Amino acid sequence: MSASSLATEALAVFAKELRSELRSRVAVNSIGLFGLTTLVAVAYQIGPYQIHEQDRPHLLAAMLWIILFFAALSGLQRVFVKEEDAHTAKTLRLAARPLAVWAGKLLFNVALLAALQAFLVPLYGVLMGMQVRGVVPLIALLAAGCVAMALTATIVAAIIARASGSGTLFAILAVPLMLPLLVMLIAGTRVAMTSPRWSDVLPALQGVGALAGVTLVASVYLFPVVWHD
Amino acid sequence: MATVRITFSGLGKRFGSRTVLKGLSGELRARCVVAVTGPNGSGKSTLLNLLAGVMRPSSGSVSYLATDTPVPRHRWHTLSGVAGPDMAVYEELSALENLRFFARLRGLARTDGELERVLADLGLAARDARRLVATFSSGMKQRVKLAQAVVHEPAVLLLDEPSSNLDETGHDTIAALVKSLRGRAAVAIATNDPREMAWGDERIQLGN
Amino acid sequence: MTDKAAIGFWHWLVGAWMLLVIYGAFFYAPTAQGFVGESARIVFFHVPLAWVAVLAFCVNLWTSLRYLARRDPLDDARAAAAARLGLVFSVLATVTGSLFAKVMWGEFWNWDPRQISIVILLLVYAAYFALREAIADEERRGGLAAAYATLAFVTMPFLVFVVPRIYFSLHPDTLINVRGSIDMDSRMLQVLLAALVGFTGIFVWLYTLEVRLARVLIERQQREES
Repeated sequence: MSASSLATEALAVFAKELRSELRSRVAVNSIGLFGLTTLVAVAYQIGPYQIHEQDRPHLLAAMLWIILFFAALSGLQRVFVKEEDAHTAKTLRLAARPLAVWAGKLLFNVALLAALQAFLVPLYGVLMGMQVRGVVPLIALLAAGCVAMALTATIVAAIIARASGSGTLFAILAVPLMLPLLVMLIAGTRVAMTSPRWSDVLPALQGVGALAGVTLVASVYLFPVVWHD
Repeated sequence: MATVRITFSGLGKRFGSRTVLKGLSGELRARCVVAVTGPNGSGKSTLLNLLAGVMRPSSGSVSYLATDTPVPRHRWHTLSGVAGPDMAVYEELSALENLRFFARLRGLARTDGELERVLADLGLAARDARRLVATFSSGMKQRVKLAQAVVHEPAVLLLDEPSSNLDETGHDTIAALVKSLRGRAAVAIATNDPREMAWGDERIQLGN
Repeated sequence: MTDKAAIGFWHWLVGAWMLLVIYGAFFYAPTAQGFVGESARIVFFHVPLAWVAVLAFCVNLWTSLRYLARRDPLDDARAAAAARLGLVFSVLATVTGSLFAKVMWGEFWNWDPRQISIVILLLVYAAYFALREAIADEERRGGLAAAYATLAFVTMPFLVFVVPRIYFSLHPDTLINVRGSIDMDSRMLQVLLAALVGFTGIFVWLYTLEVRLARVLIERQQREES
């Protein structure tokens, strides 16, 4: 069985997720509405002018990632939890290679987060009067953060799907693993707001990339174990 | 279609302090139907789960042999088809979409016509094939579940209580399915239904 | 019988050693320069506690990986024992650190990167046990907990090494400072090293006690089955 067939199978899983989601819209609704509600609350209560000029880069960067982070926590576990809830997990387990399942679900979570960012970040920028000098570095950082968050969320989702009380457990398990990521992303975003130079954002970008790489390797090793346990 | 033989020896499974299976040995051969029988809780489903490779044995081992060459564990899913009461198909997809998905996972590209024929063989009309499974009766869902198990023409078929939720015609459908696979596949059926037991060429009796 | 005697001797040795460490920490080591009052003496307890918390994390990883490879229930019990001790020691490290922070900087908590690192370690341990509590099947519990432990271990270096570089830290230089030299009075260093050995001894003692208990329970369960 070649790598190309692994890709085909992973895409089949991804396409299935996408089709299910387009019909039920549960994940999109929970993540999107959570993000939107928090954004509205923050924008209404704080808005662009409640923050001193010198505090802006730091506070705006921190609030942006906190909104994205908690919105992600509200829905990314569904990829595995719903399979257990609907008793389709065993059918899937018996029909597919673990890595194809993992890759397909990961792709779906990446797509979900990317959609969330595409919708929320511009809105946040407008409502909060966020001025960004390094737009391209910021986009790179958002993309890297999206992949890294989806990687951690996907493997943690696979772990909690077979435990009881999985909804709360997901947040409990994911938060300590994602905090380093969050710290690096906030630091990078703050820099991208004040400086257009790539070299300034690079340390954060490298940190996020390295963390994503490590999580990727660990997931490939751990997922088959978790999936079959 | 290669013929596959499954051998198992010293197979045991514990759940915590409860021992469900102990020291079970035997084999499933191509062109042979094995009926697995025994009272509730005697480990019929557990045995099928172990043979399908979806559960790890506490002791002993299971191996798949394709013309006497061992098949690695990660390839078993391409050879076997399984249907059981604790499995479901996707309710938010149509019967046809379900089958297409399960075929693609095994690396097979089947046309809609071929998939519709699989469903028709199990008694699902073409107009139902394009409806969402969520709208199906439990008997129709059972048929989609069985279709999922045979869509890739498996060399090994493991059925756990196949005619649950099915009416009399459903029972005949399963009989026809087993008959059509009998010529080439290794089949195991876990059941307590005397008519289904009669399909077996051999029998594994579990429990005391 | 000799085993029992050896264990008894070893317990007395750790006890006597720790008495020496406590005496040394208060009466043998000189007062450190540049710290408020005698506050720096807490280093003889705080640093070994933090060290044991990290050591327990490493033991937890090692036994978890071994469980994933061999599926021996005793390895799972070892991993859980290491995590339990790790949780206790990281709480103690956090508390001693806070006391020192209060005396030195006037606040129990000031979101120093090192404080955050130890708190995250604490959260990881807590999450590990929350996960274990939520899974009834023993084998699955072992496998999933081991997977989470491994995942947590690979992300920890980012917290310990990367994040403190992004943020300014108030924390005094760690034992070996940025210049790569050990910058400490020799008597203080003696006491600190002795304390590290002593606390590691306590950890080994508690850890082996838990593992022996788990072994007895597992053996009894297996006897009952056969």
